[in-house]
Amino acid sequence: MAAVRCVDLCKTYRQGDQDIKALDHVSIEIEPGGFVCLSAPSGGGKTTLLNAIGGLDMPDSGEVWVADRRIDQLSKGALAELRLSSIGFVFQAYNLIPVLTARENIEFVMQVQGVPAAERAKKSMAILEEVGLKGLEDRRPAEMSGGQQQRVAVARAIVSRPALVLADEPTANLDSKTSDELMTLFTELNEHHNTTFVIATHDQRVMGYAKRLIRMLDGRIVDDIEQHAA
Amino acid sequence: MNIVMRLAWRNLWRHQRRTWLTVGAMMFANTLLVFMISMQFSMYGLMIENTLKLFTGHMQIQAPGYKDDQKMRQTVADIVPLAASLRAEFPDEKIAARGQAFALASSEDRSYGIGIFGVEPEFEPQVSSIPGLIKEGRYVRGKNATEIVVGAVLARNLRVGIGDELTLLGSGLDGSFAAAVVTIVGIFDSGVVDVDRNIAQIPLGAFQDIFFMDGAGHQVVISAPTLDAAAAVLPKIVAAMPPGSDLVVHDWDALQPGLKQAIKADMSSAFFMYGILVILVAFSVLNTQLMSVLERTHEFGIVMSLGLKPGQLGRLVMLETTLLGLIGFVLGAIGGVLLTSYFGVNGLSIPGMEEMAANFNLPTRVYLEATPLSVVIGPSVVFLFTLLAAAYPALRLYKLHPVEAMRTN
Amino acid sequence: MRMLPVLTRLAWRYLWRNHRRTIIMVSAISIGVWAMIFMTALSRGMVDQMIEDGVSALPGHVQVHNKQFLDDPSVSNRILISDAELSRTFDSADFKAWASRVKVPAVISSEYESRGVTLLGIDPVAERAFGYLSYDEVEGRFLEGVDDNSIVIGRKLADKLETNVGKRVVLMSQDPENEIADRGFRVVGLFNSDVPGYEDGNVFVGKKAAQKMLRIGDTTTELVFLGDSYRNVEPTYDRVVASIDGTLDVKRWYEVATYLGSLLKVMDGFVMIWMIVIFLALSFGLVNTLVMAVFERVREIGLMLALGMKPSHILGQIIIESMLLLSVGLAIGNVLSWATIQPLRGGIDISIVAQGMEMMGAASVLYPRLYVSDMILANVIVLSLGFLASLSPAWRASRYEPVEAITKVG
Ligand SMILES: Nc1ncnc2c1ncn2[C@@H]1O[C@H](COP(=O)(O)OP(=O)(O)OP(=O)(O)O)[C@@H](O)[C@H]1O
Ligand SMILES: [Mg+2]
Repeated sequence: MAAVRCVDLCKTYRQGDQDIKALDHVSIEIEPGGFVCLSAPSGGGKTTLLNAIGGLDMPDSGEVWVADRRIDQLSKGALAELRLSSIGFVFQAYNLIPVLTARENIEFVMQVQGVPAAERAKKSMAILEEVGLKGLEDRRPAEMSGGQQQRVAVARAIVSRPALVLADEPTANLDSKTSDELMTLFTELNEHHNTTFVIATHDQRVMGYAKRLIRMLDGRIVDDIEQHAA
Repeated sequence: MNIVMRLAWRNLWRHQRRTWLTVGAMMFANTLLVFMISMQFSMYGLMIENTLKLFTGHMQIQAPGYKDDQKMRQTVADIVPLAASLRAEFPDEKIAARGQAFALASSEDRSYGIGIFGVEPEFEPQVSSIPGLIKEGRYVRGKNATEIVVGAVLARNLRVGIGDELTLLGSGLDGSFAAAVVTIVGIFDSGVVDVDRNIAQIPLGAFQDIFFMDGAGHQVVISAPTLDAAAAVLPKIVAAMPPGSDLVVHDWDALQPGLKQAIKADMSSAFFMYGILVILVAFSVLNTQLMSVLERTHEFGIVMSLGLKPGQLGRLVMLETTLLGLIGFVLGAIGGVLLTSYFGVNGLSIPGMEEMAANFNLPTRVYLEATPLSVVIGPSVVFLFTLLAAAYPALRLYKLHPVEAMRTN
Repeated sequence: MRMLPVLTRLAWRYLWRNHRRTIIMVSAISIGVWAMIFMTALSRGMVDQMIEDGVSALPGHVQVHNKQFLDDPSVSNRILISDAELSRTFDSADFKAWASRVKVPAVISSEYESRGVTLLGIDPVAERAFGYLSYDEVEGRFLEGVDDNSIVIGRKLADKLETNVGKRVVLMSQDPENEIADRGFRVVGLFNSDVPGYEDGNVFVGKKAAQKMLRIGDTTTELVFLGDSYRNVEPTYDRVVASIDGTLDVKRWYEVATYLGSLLKVMDGFVMIWMIVIFLALSFGLVNTLVMAVFERVREIGLMLALGMKPSHILGQIIIESMLLLSVGLAIGNVLSWATIQPLRGGIDISIVAQGMEMMGAASVLYPRLYVSDMILANVIVLSLGFLASLSPAWRASRYEPVEAITKVG
């Protein structure tokens, strides 16, 4: 069983009279407990691939399997259910709901899942501490820095212990120390809970934590190397 | 089209749905206002016309106090010569003399107390619609003929028809016993139950004989070509009263005080309703224009830092609002005219309102008419309030600080 | 259902994110709701009073006549059941009140004037409960019993006849053979009435005196019955129908006074139309507000969808937002209308248009009537039509594709 399997994914965007191949026959297979970094120059197709895996976007052709379920043909509702129950997302931008506080943002997914309030509170306070945001739980996104917002987004993605975490540039707004802390947190989750991570990044430091590094260029996979943590 | 105009026009259509919804609110209110106001004007006109035409006329000459008490003794002496001399003096006005008394009218089977009017058969048709509403037989003729016309309901209640005789019992001017036998020559049907049940008319000469009037009567009815003409001629008629007499001339408003007041009462409740509609539309516009200003804060910040003054931006917003208001005005007025015209052709009858209408001498089916005034008045007020509503967002621009404005997105 | 608290919290927060817009909209809704209820209370007050006065002047919620009488109100068309027999039937039947009376058109004459009136031969004791006249406020005295040989007339009529308490008047009408029936009466009392036209048109004499004058033995022309309220006459009607000769004509008040009956219906229709018109005027602003609210947060909607919220949750969220907005407006509007109607309960003087009101059959003091049912109607209309109006923007919001929404520029 693979945690994620993509078979021959293609996705083309039309930009004016020009076709842009965001995904060009991409096939990858990620085992449960995988810790994968996707690296590509800007416009290389990282976000498009993550969206396809998360069922947010449909590929033009090819298959997407998550935990041995083919998801590219599921209904909207079923996809929502899947994301809710087993995928954690960190988006590249616009991660948080502006009218909710940090803690409410973190609890949001759990609340939709139907986790009881007491448990939600316990988990969210714990995770806030883990990402180093203790004391900021009642702030709204507008009252936090970009890095703090990013950490709230990460906390929300991992708080309900999903089997798969898809993170798009999770360290984009963080300094090197905080980045390291975050990656250590990811590594721990990966090791202790066997959580699968797929992280899109430009950051060399982040790539260093990955067990596997996949390089893309113009929608194609150009390199796929297993590596051991530094 | 100049550049500012073009800019305003483009800005208006940035959010098509929002603009149409705002225009929609104006259209809704305007269409309704045009329709309702046209309806009111049409109804008021009919109410006044029908009520006055039926019986009252535009003016009446009476003895003092007669209007309120209608006592037999409150007479106009030598009424026929008076009416004749007025007729000679005022050729444009229609003038007829009347006497009025109460009597018990008895047929073979029934007796009812009714109002008996002595009328001048040649002149009465000019001031009253009743002679024209004879549905059976004919109107009374001659000066002294002992003929009578009665209302349809009265005829039914008395169980009489044309040619039957009625006995009238009452008291004369001097309080003495008055009695006469008259022949029914006509039956009128005005549609107003009270009139049709309670009124009968006989020639004035015969009336004066029966009730020992000694040449006197109770009212000289005067109808002018129009309401306005009536108002103009009133002082002249007052001046033409025989010297030394204490006769008074009442205009229609004094004779039918309920009429103007009913209109007034109806108008004030209608204006309350219209006011609410207009205010709600104004809120709609306020909301839209405030949104449109707030979402452009950043943009306004930039153009202000380029050197545009708040006043210029404010004018831009007002121009946008004017355009918005004009669209609402035109579309709403068209909608209102169409709606009114539909009921102008087909007539409007409100189910259940028939009896209400009859109370005000209105026919059951009213044909509406849109006049320029009734079309323009409502939409104009809406337009005015639209501009007023936009003043707040426009004035806010004066408080805008370019640097802060640019920071918001 | 589980989502309700989450969605409600989100909706509430979003509502106040753009507080200016929300305040404007809430004000508009409040004013609209206030106008709905206030206007309705005023109109209800006017119409209710017209109906109540009219019904009490009739009097009686259920009336019985000879089949021909209403069309041809003559003693010939009287009820041929003796008073004694009527008493046997109805005295024990436990009606709230009932009376048999003589009611015929007549002419009243003083030494100076004559007028057409309705002659009422009544049993003052039996009719007290009908409440159309306060006996104690009569100038002079009211009739003392069925045998009373005096007459009580209206103040206004007395002025016109130039008569007064202690003076004599003559009544003239017809007997069943259409012979003139006339008789002199001494005026013992003058009454006042708020009901338009009542003072000029009605004169009261003892029932027996009237029967004697009209030579109709101990028969009458009209039976009147009082029910619980004018809005609930069916039970009384049914009982009267059951206990009386089928050849007689039993009518509910709104069948006798069709003008009043149609008034009640017209009023109900007017209330409904007025509320809907106000709502429609509001609906444009409401939909506009929702469209803008959705437009501003397309991205956030995308995010929520991406996180696993279902489209139906988004739909629900927007609808809840709309319902919250309306509820706040309704709450304020309801309080406002109550607060403005309360001080006016003592009546609004509209005597400057008194004669106009008289033409409509209304009195010159207007007492607003705030009905709970009207208030409920206003709230139900606003909420239910508001729900319908918010469906379209909410539906659109729930149809966004998460990716497109998130990456939306602008
Ligand atoms: N909605 C869209 N419409 C048109 N083109 C798009 C769209 N989304 C992505 N693309 C194009 O597809 C290609 C891949 O985009 P993608 O967002 O996957 O790149 P990326 O690797 O995530 O880049 P970055 O590092 O800048 O986030 C780009 O050339 C982009 O311009
Ligand atoms: Mg990207």
